[in-house]
Amino acid sequence: MEILIYGIVNSVILSLMALGFTLVYSISRLPNFAHGALYITSGYITWLFLNKFEGFPYPFAIIIGILITSIIGALIYRLVLIRIRGMEISEIIASYAIGLAMLEGLRWGGLRGMTFTLPTFMTGTVNIFGVDIDYQRIIIVGVGVSIFLLLYLFTHFNRIGLALRGIAQDERAAMMLGIDSDMTAVVSLAIGSGLAGFAAILLLPLGNIIVEVGYNVLIFAIAVCVIGGLGSWVGTIVASFIIGFAQILTEAFLSTHYQMVVALLAIIITLLIKPSGLFGKQKELEERV
Amino acid sequence: MRRLICYIIFSFVILFLIPFTSYSAEKPIVIGAPLSTAFLYGWDAERGIKLAVEEINKAGGVAIGGKKRPLAVEVIDTRDLEPGVPVSEALLAVEKLILDKKVDFIIGGPVRSEAALAAMDLLSKHKKVSILTTGVLTPAYHKKVADNYEKYKYCFRNTSHVGVMMGEFVTMLEDLRKAHGFNKAYIMVQDVAHARAGGEAMKKALTEKGWTVIDMKIYPTGTVDYSVGLIDSGKKGAQVLFLWMDMPESAALLKQWSDMKLKSLPVGFVNAAEQPGFWKATGGKGEYLIVNLVNGGNAPAKITPWTMKFVDAYKKKWGLEPEGYGTSSSYMAVYQLKAAIEKANSTDSEAVVKALEDIDIMGVYGRMRFDKKTHQIIPSYDPKEGAVTGIIQWQAGKRVQVFPPKVAEGKVLLPPWMK
Repeated sequence: MEILIYGIVNSVILSLMALGFTLVYSISRLPNFAHGALYITSGYITWLFLNKFEGFPYPFAIIIGILITSIIGALIYRLVLIRIRGMEISEIIASYAIGLAMLEGLRWGGLRGMTFTLPTFMTGTVNIFGVDIDYQRIIIVGVGVSIFLLLYLFTHFNRIGLALRGIAQDERAAMMLGIDSDMTAVVSLAIGSGLAGFAAILLLPLGNIIVEVGYNVLIFAIAVCVIGGLGSWVGTIVASFIIGFAQILTEAFLSTHYQMVVALLAIIITLLIKPSGLFGKQKELEERV
Repeated sequence: MRRLICYIIFSFVILFLIPFTSYSAEKPIVIGAPLSTAFLYGWDAERGIKLAVEEINKAGGVAIGGKKRPLAVEVIDTRDLEPGVPVSEALLAVEKLILDKKVDFIIGGPVRSEAALAAMDLLSKHKKVSILTTGVLTPAYHKKVADNYEKYKYCFRNTSHVGVMMGEFVTMLEDLRKAHGFNKAYIMVQDVAHARAGGEAMKKALTEKGWTVIDMKIYPTGTVDYSVGLIDSGKKGAQVLFLWMDMPESAALLKQWSDMKLKSLPVGFVNAAEQPGFWKATGGKGEYLIVNLVNGGNAPAKITPWTMKFVDAYKKKWGLEPEGYGTSSSYMAVYQLKAAIEKANSTDSEAVVKALEDIDIMGVYGRMRFDKKTHQIIPSYDPKEGAVTGIIQWQAGKRVQVFPPKVAEGKVLLPPWMK
């Protein structure tokens, strides 16, 4: 039973890590390699407000952290990525360089050591079918599922969401209908960065705010997206569950230190069998052309 | 107007004179400190060295040739604890200190074992006396000195190593067995060389003593979920959780252990739990964890009269208690070097090596003398005999020294759910 329960928790954690990355790529075809840096930045800003201003309310600190991260995401597009849009290698290099500068800047600015952490929303554990699980992880699962539902509703029933989907499906046709491509890219970067920040607020209370986590989050986000198929929402969820359960099963029946190997092996196998990922269509489209 | 100009000139003259009147005008003896400054074992060593240098300079400096020479410090970031940074970076940093900064002695790192072992050849080539004070726990360091004394005689280490730490852990766990009847252990280590070796060595040592080692789990760096292993340890009746991890995420393990109220006592080498801020970082869930700080004085304790004097001076200068491994040893290394230079009455490497082999001082964590063949600090459970470890337990937000018994300030407490 613990495999099932912690497998679900692990899978939702992975999907939350990858959510922002997938959203930006699916809408704007921009691989945002600053994703991990935005994740840590959000956590650090929230920590700053909580610890440097005595009595500052936690919910406000969270909102400020996510808002600032969203603004940084929008600025990354407006100031840098807009100039190199369409040049995929340049987009990767530029966004990765920005992420690197942000993370190492945080380290240089004082984010060093092991004592930076965010408080859990609720303390204590509950026993589910004989398995102890803490409230924070239950909240992560609940909020994670809700976020996916909200994003579905947003992209299907909201004007801005529909515009984002329009751009994602056919950029030229959407532009002919008056949808501003650059503006949707700004919005997608802002929302994607905000989602990275939101994931950080949920997940960082389980561990610590450290620079290295930013790099790990980026690796997991890429792993999930490559296996699921770049830009595919369904793929992201399915891939998260494949990696999430594979890791827990590895820990239970093989050995814990093969967990990362399993994730990377899954990428290689997927690329060999289905180069576009489980639900991606890029390679197939290229071959058809 | 003329008077105002006179005042300004006079003020400038005074300002320029202040530094020269406070300290000796003699040429300073320069200490090079190659440290991974972005990490605990780097910055706490830097602070320890700077504090000792400041104290010595305030007292006049180092007596040599009938004169008093001040000390100066050149810190360089080796980055060797950063993931993916090659050993060559640390070697370049050490070489820069020697050739470019013209340092007279080396104190501190390199901090990672691989880098420190590689740097030994460099120290030998340039005949630079070095006292290693932080990070490096491998016994290979002092074995290398013993195996080729003439080549590596410039290398000293005033901190403990894995071999000694294992003995300390086993002795303490045996004490716990006598007191509480514990005989089942579960080992959880990080997937890095020193932690895997530490876990294996502990597994072997405990098995030989008649303990049942249920399992040994190895976790990749960055793991934040330990639930499957912890649940397994609970189901199989583990009474001791032996941990060896230097990643920050190990705080998550303690949080989960506390939330699950597992009937096992966590003991080990847990980097994240060394700092005073660990209590706040875990919201108090790290209570009852027993941690080896490698040397005494890395947390408040009354090992020798100098221990609390050092802790108070550190708090006054840096605004917080000594944070962890590397602090007291780096501080003491400066005093050991001072004693050796004064004994040799020279800064010549050969003379200082001989003097370091002979000096015997009562320091922050006990009697400090080097083994003449290995240049390794001589350890002991009695501060009158040798260098004493700092094994602490987190109790009500404080780090309380619980081992060795001669310097313990409190007894090992069990969590209420274990009683």
